[in-house]
Amino acid sequence: MRQDMKPSMKPLLRSFGMFIRQISKDSMLIVVCIAPILAAFFFHFGIPIIEGLLCEFFRKTTVLTPYNLLFDLFLSILTPYMFCFASAMLMLTEYDEGMTSYLAVTPIGKKGYILSRLLTPAVISFFASSLLLLYFALTTWAFMMIIMVCLLTSLTSIAVALLVFSISHNRVEGMAMAKLSGLMMLGLPVPFFLLSNVQYIFAFLPSFWIAKLGMEQNVLYFIPALLTSLTWLWILYRKFERKLT
Amino acid sequence: MISVKNLNFSYTKKPFIEHVTFEVKSGEIFGFLGPSGAGKSTLQKILTGLITTYTGSVKVNGTEVKQRDNSFYEQIGVDFEFPSLYEKLTARGNLSFFNSLYKKQGDIDALLASVGLTADAAKKVADYSKGMKSRLNFIKALLHDPSILFLDEPTSGLDPSNARLMKDIVLTEKARGKTIILTTHNMYDATELCDRVAFIVDGEIKALDTPHNLIMSKGAAKIQYTYLHNGREEKGQVSLSKTSEDELLARLLRNNQLLSIHSSEPTLNDIFVEITGRRLQ
Repeated sequence: MRQDMKPSMKPLLRSFGMFIRQISKDSMLIVVCIAPILAAFFFHFGIPIIEGLLCEFFRKTTVLTPYNLLFDLFLSILTPYMFCFASAMLMLTEYDEGMTSYLAVTPIGKKGYILSRLLTPAVISFFASSLLLLYFALTTWAFMMIIMVCLLTSLTSIAVALLVFSISHNRVEGMAMAKLSGLMMLGLPVPFFLLSNVQYIFAFLPSFWIAKLGMEQNVLYFIPALLTSLTWLWILYRKFERKLT
Repeated sequence: MISVKNLNFSYTKKPFIEHVTFEVKSGEIFGFLGPSGAGKSTLQKILTGLITTYTGSVKVNGTEVKQRDNSFYEQIGVDFEFPSLYEKLTARGNLSFFNSLYKKQGDIDALLASVGLTADAAKKVADYSKGMKSRLNFIKALLHDPSILFLDEPTSGLDPSNARLMKDIVLTEKARGKTIILTTHNMYDATELCDRVAFIVDGEIKALDTPHNLIMSKGAAKIQYTYLHNGREEKGQVSLSKTSEDELLARLLRNNQLLSIHSSEPTLNDIFVEITGRRLQ
């Protein structure tokens, strides 16, 4: 079947241009998009200062330093999460305005819409989070590890956007759902604090395997992280497509 | 131009659109007439490629809709029942964006003028009235000069003068050779605009013909008249085709004794009720 294949570049670029234009007209979404940069500055410069104050207060040599990797992992997921949240909010607005169905019957098409609203922001956020991790990480990262982790966090964030858009009926519900979708990130601290096998209760969360990958530096963890991400994407995409129709 | 053969589709396991077959010729205005929930909008979604999980064959402009690529949309224009516009943009901003998506680009100023929106072109759509949004939504479908237009309730929510304006544009587009698929539950629009109409109820086509043939096939026009008889007003009625056989009417005419006389034709709605057992409005 050749359904809705190969959206041509011009409508796709126009559609993405409209995506950026809509975000630029929404002050909340502008803040959402720059939040990861603010967070990167805070993590990189603020946490060492806080660490110094806490060590002095508790008379210890380290308080937060053992969790520097956790801060880095949060930073790696924050950029795609925020971008995809902005995308989901925008898609909900477009859904309210009847644009979602209409754009599907223009040369943008359904696939073009998905590309411009989900895939392109995820690709941009992949590069953005890689750069932030490269320059603002608190721990030392191998280049390949940055690529793997940021790829996984971008995929997880697409799942978050699909979840928020598919289940919410409007922006207000979307905001509530976005808070709930923060649970998708719950897997990140699990391997840091739950050391027994009980931690595998969270194995259904891609973020759990991303944290394992970061902690163990074992590329084998990339496989369950990828598989759980793709499973979430597969389940949520079906709901998303039903809503688009 | 459009060929649908043995089309079946359902949102659930229960059958909805069943065994639908019809053809629409080039330059024709073809109407889907039916009550809400009959399957008209679903049929339009299938024809425009929004729904592709159907069985049977649906060809638009020679392309099986399931196998379309995005160039398919260069040739069709769609006007949904509810406006689909960017509320934060101006009318001109909206049209400019949609215009930029197509290879063939329309004259935005001329289109705005055709529906009386020139003075409001710089106004944000959020500040538009419902009728203004409907008019803007309608011309959005004409931007790229498509050969097939899908119009869903184009006069819904419009005042009579704007409804007239829209209908005149539809007729102009037909005169320019466009094929138009009109989805409506307004029998007056269907009677006035459509070359042929399909009655749709519960996902099935119950009848398909020209509005005139449908009306004439089920109930001929009648003449109704009143006259005085023994000081009381009486009514008479005769089929238009049998007027000469009505001796009473002939005598009343000869003696100038008629109190009133008028012809009465069944409406498309009467025929719809007779065929489907359901009401349109």
